Amino acid sequence: MAQATASPDAPTRTLPWLTTEVSEETLEAVKALETYKKKDASKVIVRFKAVGNAPIMKQNFYKITSSNRFQAVIHFLRKELGWKAGDPLFTYINLAFSPAPDDTVSNLFKSFATDGHLIVNYSTTAAWG
Amino acid sequence: MSTYGTTRHHHAPALGGTYSTKDRVTDYHTTLFRRLTWEGTVPLEIRVDPKELPANSDRGLECYYMQAPRVSYLPLIMPEIRQFLMDVVFDDAAAKVLKEEDWWFESEEGTLLKWHWPIGLIYDNHTISASVKASAPPASNVVTPMKLILHLASPPSDKLLLSPSAEACKQAFMGQLKEADFIRWGSTKRMTGLRKVDQDGIWEGIKEHTFDDYWRVAAKVTPAITSTRPPSPGPPPSSASLHTRPPSADTAGPADRDGAYNVRSVPVRLYLPDGPVLQDLVPPLLEDGTPHTLGHYLFTHVPLLFPSRAPTPQERRSDLAYALVQGVVSPYESEMAWLGATLAGADGWLNVCVGICRN
Repeated sequence: MAQATASPDAPTRTLPWLTTEVSEETLEAVKALETYKKKDASKVIVRFKAVGNAPIMKQNFYKITSSNRFQAVIHFLRKELGWKAGDPLFTYINLAFSPAPDDTVSNLFKSFATDGHLIVNYSTTAAWG
Repeated sequence: MSTYGTTRHHHAPALGGTYSTKDRVTDYHTTLFRRLTWEGTVPLEIRVDPKELPANSDRGLECYYMQAPRVSYLPLIMPEIRQFLMDVVFDDAAAKVLKEEDWWFESEEGTLLKWHWPIGLIYDNHTISASVKASAPPASNVVTPMKLILHLASPPSDKLLLSPSAEACKQAFMGQLKEADFIRWGSTKRMTGLRKVDQDGIWEGIKEHTFDDYWRVAAKVTPAITSTRPPSPGPPPSSASLHTRPPSADTAGPADRDGAYNVRSVPVRLYLPDGPVLQDLVPPLLEDGTPHTLGHYLFTHVPLLFPSRAPTPQERRSDLAYALVQGVVSPYESEMAWLGATLAGADGWLNVCVGICRN
């Protein structure tokens, strides 16, 4: 799971603006952006909870890397459940809403964690869509 | 890009005075800024990937220019683009075999454009990405069209995340509205309390781009800016205690409870050039009871780019970065609650896009 969306770092290139005259501020800003781009390697606990007729998982606590997108969580869940492509699966946070698939686990955890867990509900039918 | 003075010109701070908590008139300025947000458009230049143009297409006319509403979505402007291509560019034989569900967009630089992002966000995100590129002109008032490449086949579905249909876009939109609702109030009961006709109506408002249809429903879920609001800064203790109660306190009147300054948190996302996107809980008031300003928000979340929460004019001359809200460079003293209630996108989210200054 942890490596679900890991991609190799882009090769270091000589950035064209570094060779021309650029203000100190710009360089500082570019450096700051590089810092913020570093992926958060920390992990958070995601707790899966079945809703309605959805099958229950044997293990329902997982440590998932924060920088993963929610899409990766959905992929992981489908795999654990042995779902085939096309089998319906709806996922929600806190029995309330479906997050955007490109949001990160880290962002969702910061906003919606309950008692240190991010609770992901899953269902075979649309529940709070 | 231009700068507006957005805050506090319409409320005299009534220090220690009495407030009418029943007064919930959406004031002129709130409506004005909501209208400006709604009417905001961005220029787009859409060009079919020349390698994918079907035989017998009219190559002289392959570009389509349009002003697209910021609050709209790519799947919703597809019919207009399709109409143009079918009428003017493709011949009948090609028109018959092309499948619209295979179409997808990329920026000129090769960034996939997501179906579920508001068009205004796609444009602003492109502006800030360009701010770090060598050839970028310094931030100026010149508005240039964003160049989109339209591909006609082989969509990278795993990266686009959603199908290009208006229905998928609606589901994503409703999901975002609910998430915003949850952020504000800790539950989605305002959204789930909407009747089916209203839930459909709010999307129709987007689809047809009708301000009144959208706001007729949106007003039920968006916090109000009332004429009662916390005095700031440094209120006397008596009025401070009146206004720093927790948002959930039951003593507040109904108008106050729905107020922008009484939400638990403002739905905000912060976009940096070429990522990442940051989302966190953003309370409308700070612990000392003063409004949470954009300057404070930027200073707390990206201090390396905004090293001061309220820079002096001298410090501002060496600004490292700027923050765009709906394409407008926004002043540091703007209050997050106010921005969230007036300049959020139609999906309820306030998008703050940070670009770097090239001095």
